Amino acid sequence: MKTQFLFPNKYKKLGWILFVPSLIIQLIAILCELSLDNYLNVKVLALYQDTFGNKSHFFSIIQNSISDELLTISLIIGGILICFSKLKNEDEYISKIRYESLVWSTYLNYGLIVFFTIFLYGISYLNVLFYNMFTLILFFIIRFHYMIYKLNSNSDDE
Amino acid sequence: MTNNLKVLRAIKNISQEELAKKIAVSRQTINAMEKGKYVPSTVLALKLSRYFEKPVEEIFTLESTD
Repeated sequence: MKTQFLFPNKYKKLGWILFVPSLIIQLIAILCELSLDNYLNVKVLALYQDTFGNKSHFFSIIQNSISDELLTISLIIGGILICFSKLKNEDEYISKIRYESLVWSTYLNYGLIVFFTIFLYGISYLNVLFYNMFTLILFFIIRFHYMIYKLNSNSDDE
Repeated sequence: MTNNLKVLRAIKNISQEELAKKIAVSRQTINAMEKGKYVPSTVLALKLSRYFEKPVEEIFTLESTD
């Protein structure tokens, strides 16, 4: 079957290799309240720089730890590759499951945002928005693979 | 929509796995169609019709709710 916008199957493995270690590092950093700001300090180009008490600048070179940036990029690219690489036996029924999982996880993701918009304020709310960068991908991965797992386990040849 | 894939498959004495290979889909798709959980695309319906050498209407039937 022809499928648009999906990566070939071999990229799925690359996705897992990028996604799982970065997720584990990210979780450890969050749970142990570690700061990654001391690692990989390099000069970077900032399109816009705005810190408290300083004048804002466009296109300035600043010193910054790129460890969190690398982690974010690795999580997003890895996640996207896991989500949108074809399965080995990708066909039209799998596409339907893919579509339904995407709708489901989008509802869940934005449902949670609405919930936290009503009930969380200040820094906690900003944290929710930060985690939200990854939750849509994460919900989709869990839902889609759970549905495929269910499909494989209860579709015995009769 | 209902179908008699299971019956046709039994007549031909072919497993879900073999049928899936013949028409290039996954075995789960055949299973889901037989259980009525999935309505195939026109392409897939025509492939099945070609394989069983029967018109599509003899494999798939509309229900009153369709």
